[in-house]
Amino acid sequence: MSRPLPNRASVVIVGGGIQGLCCAFYLTTFGVRDIVVLDAGYWQGGASGRNGTLIRPGFASFEWTQLFQLSCDEWSKLSRKLGENIMFTQRGYTMVAEQASTADMLKEAAEVHRQCGVDSFLVPDGQLKTLLPAINHKRVVAALHLPTGGFAPHHAAMKGLLAACRRRGVDVRYRTAVTAFERTADRVSAVYVGDHRIDADTVVIAAGPHNGAMAELIGVALDGYSMRIEAMALEPTRPLIGPAIALIDSLAYFHQTSRGEVVGGTEVPERPRMSLRTDVPVMASMAKIYLEMFPQLAEVRILRHWAGMLHISSDFAPLLGPHPALRDLWFSAGWSYGFAGGPGGGLLLAKAIATGEIDARMKPFALDRFERGQPIAEAGIVLAKN
Amino acid sequence: MNSQLSPRSIEFYWNGRRMEAREGDSVAAALRRNGILAIARSRKLHRPLGHSGSYIAGVLARVNGRPNVRLDQEPCRPGMRVAMQNVWPSARFDLLAAAQLLPARWVYGGFEHSRWTPSGGRAYAVWERLMANLAGMGTPPDASLPAAARPARRFKVEVLVIGGGVAGRRAANAAAAAGRKVALVTRGETPGRFSAALGFTLEPLNEAIGVFCGMELFGCYREGTLLVAAPHRHDEGAVAFDVDEIVIATGRRSMPPLVPGNHVPGVMDAHAALELAAGHGVMPGDAVAVVGTGAEKLVAERLQGFGASVVHVGAIADLRRIIGRRCVRAIDVGRTVRCDAVVHAGPWRADPNLLFQIAAEGLFQLVVDDTPRRVSVVGAAAEEDEPIHVPATLSPDTLVCPCMDVTAGELLSHIDAGETDPEVLKRLTSCGMGPCQGYPCWESMLAILAARTGRPPGEFRRPSHRPPRRSITVAQAAGLCGVVEPDR
Repeated sequence: MSRPLPNRASVVIVGGGIQGLCCAFYLTTFGVRDIVVLDAGYWQGGASGRNGTLIRPGFASFEWTQLFQLSCDEWSKLSRKLGENIMFTQRGYTMVAEQASTADMLKEAAEVHRQCGVDSFLVPDGQLKTLLPAINHKRVVAALHLPTGGFAPHHAAMKGLLAACRRRGVDVRYRTAVTAFERTADRVSAVYVGDHRIDADTVVIAAGPHNGAMAELIGVALDGYSMRIEAMALEPTRPLIGPAIALIDSLAYFHQTSRGEVVGGTEVPERPRMSLRTDVPVMASMAKIYLEMFPQLAEVRILRHWAGMLHISSDFAPLLGPHPALRDLWFSAGWSYGFAGGPGGGLLLAKAIATGEIDARMKPFALDRFERGQPIAEAGIVLAKN
Repeated sequence: MNSQLSPRSIEFYWNGRRMEAREGDSVAAALRRNGILAIARSRKLHRPLGHSGSYIAGVLARVNGRPNVRLDQEPCRPGMRVAMQNVWPSARFDLLAAAQLLPARWVYGGFEHSRWTPSGGRAYAVWERLMANLAGMGTPPDASLPAAARPARRFKVEVLVIGGGVAGRRAANAAAAAGRKVALVTRGETPGRFSAALGFTLEPLNEAIGVFCGMELFGCYREGTLLVAAPHRHDEGAVAFDVDEIVIATGRRSMPPLVPGNHVPGVMDAHAALELAAGHGVMPGDAVAVVGTGAEKLVAERLQGFGASVVHVGAIADLRRIIGRRCVRAIDVGRTVRCDAVVHAGPWRADPNLLFQIAAEGLFQLVVDDTPRRVSVVGAAAEEDEPIHVPATLSPDTLVCPCMDVTAGELLSHIDAGETDPEVLKRLTSCGMGPCQGYPCWESMLAILAARTGRPPGEFRRPSHRPPRRSITVAQAAGLCGVVEPDR
């Protein structure tokens, strides 16, 4: 790195993934200057470059729906705001139930969406053929379609965010690991990169699977644990699948990119671990799901298969807001739908840091919700609750 | 073109045209026998690509309703219908070929980054739909094809040898003679095709060795204790091996020269050329130029022995450009030599994929650590990689990753702007994200990066090599369910 690191910053953000960059970008829109983003890995090397890139505005709970509705709306405005094409492709997002109990959950979700003003509808039997001609209709008990959802490739989204941040004067450094924090009795005051000290008014931790390690370095408690999940891409073909798809019962999500690759992932019951290596069972399970739901994919070849890591909270919901133990320390952690939630989470966090006002949509995700006995129950996510 | 058809000829169809092949031909060999060199089109600029031995996109076509079939691994069968992909409306009248007229700069990073149609508007929705219909190489498989999982098998062996050449056979025989349970996996329908074509004597394999031919060993999982291979034949199941010791005997391949025209149909590596000549009696061309880093003489002699007419033998460093658009017409080696095929024999480098999968670890980036003691690399694969010659005046038109249309110019535009992280260059350009999954394109990318920055090549961490590099179909992978249990 040619330029030396600054000695002080108004905000130091630890993590240059989508949470960190969104937070930095929206901070600049609130007039905050002297922002530094530090990331130990390479650009897109973390979950922001390894996820399924699916984006949807609605879930089954009011809390999740309100946050992701905002985020989806921001996604649709992001190209204009950044001045870069982030390629948010609103081909729609379909939540599929393969069991009757899940179909009931989708009905409840549709009601939540109606009350929140999210555009969604339960797909009538006749319409499934038009919406998803290639799907194995026999397996579908019910489907909830969100027309404003879709996907955005990480290479475009992360490129747009990084370019816009740098243009607005944010100092973004990759391959720059934070090694220590300085704290007084009641606040975090500085960040260390090796021997180099950066005096910080505010510190934001958005380090994905390394959130726990960062909390430990600071000496504060943080809910949750880290785990590996895997995804894979099939060799590209011309369009076969229209919308993004979540199979709630098969624990799978996938879509066909604008380049033609079918990208998706699933989970198998394994012990949580920190690793970037893949294993056979996810590839096999995902292939079996494709074979059952989209039989036409049988003869398509698997191009690559990779692993990424997440920080999972006890209720699978993001941990968004100030840390209850120390002043000037904020977290954007616990994301399992972090790519979709990036712009919404970043906007609310930036607003809170810049103005001191905690938005009603952010409040439920406060870090101390477990101590207060208010975890969030969400049934509409694709995640093994083991 | 050599076209002595044996009495046992079979008929197949290329783009609807009836053609004759010899029984035992691969489809790639059959097409060359019929004078067809341009088999595929590159992803973005629709450049003609052919059977190169280096770039997989050049041998992908639709066969009997299945997209992206590797024609060099697909036996030609009577009545087979083979069709070029990524053409519209037809291979003979392809309007998409007009894309070749676009300036290369326009597709840096792909069409998708267009600022004319930012997402969030109606124009983007239309543009994205059009793009998705133009991208994607082939159309999806025919809906009428059967969709059943291909059941996999699992074996426990003490020693797994990957590669059936001289070194692989020697290692396998030695282990078997020591009373160990040995399996040998090889890509070829018979083990050791390249060694045999080069004239090496192959020792017969001990009968106790389990031999798995026509398979790609693509994945090394769980620190290299669980390895998975998939057969080229789409209707057979994958094979998983529980392994104590691994012997990597996968040899080395010749890296394509970094000169303009290196992707043109008619340019081939020594492996592909010798396999065609020795295995099928099909010559790389009527007038063959052989270039290399020392082995060119041997390769030229062998090709001549099979009946090829060799018009030039020389050092790779003297090659300045390959002339021709749809096929090779000549080479520039300081003077113009007319030829219709270029065979390169070096620089030789081993495919790092399997070793990377076994040995790489890291929480921020997978980086190769020490190779575990259970793994040995033998034969040519163990020899030091030869440096790739980067011309002092590297032409920006030189293709580095033809499958994804990534040129040296595109890489240099990022390197000169200060971006020298291979992982980032990969993401900015898609270099190595096509069917080959990084070999040989990342070797070339790293060589260019080192040459341009003046830093030693070893200083750059290579992008992650990932399984399964299109070696396995969805139906074959589904067959592994229940055969390999999750690691709880």
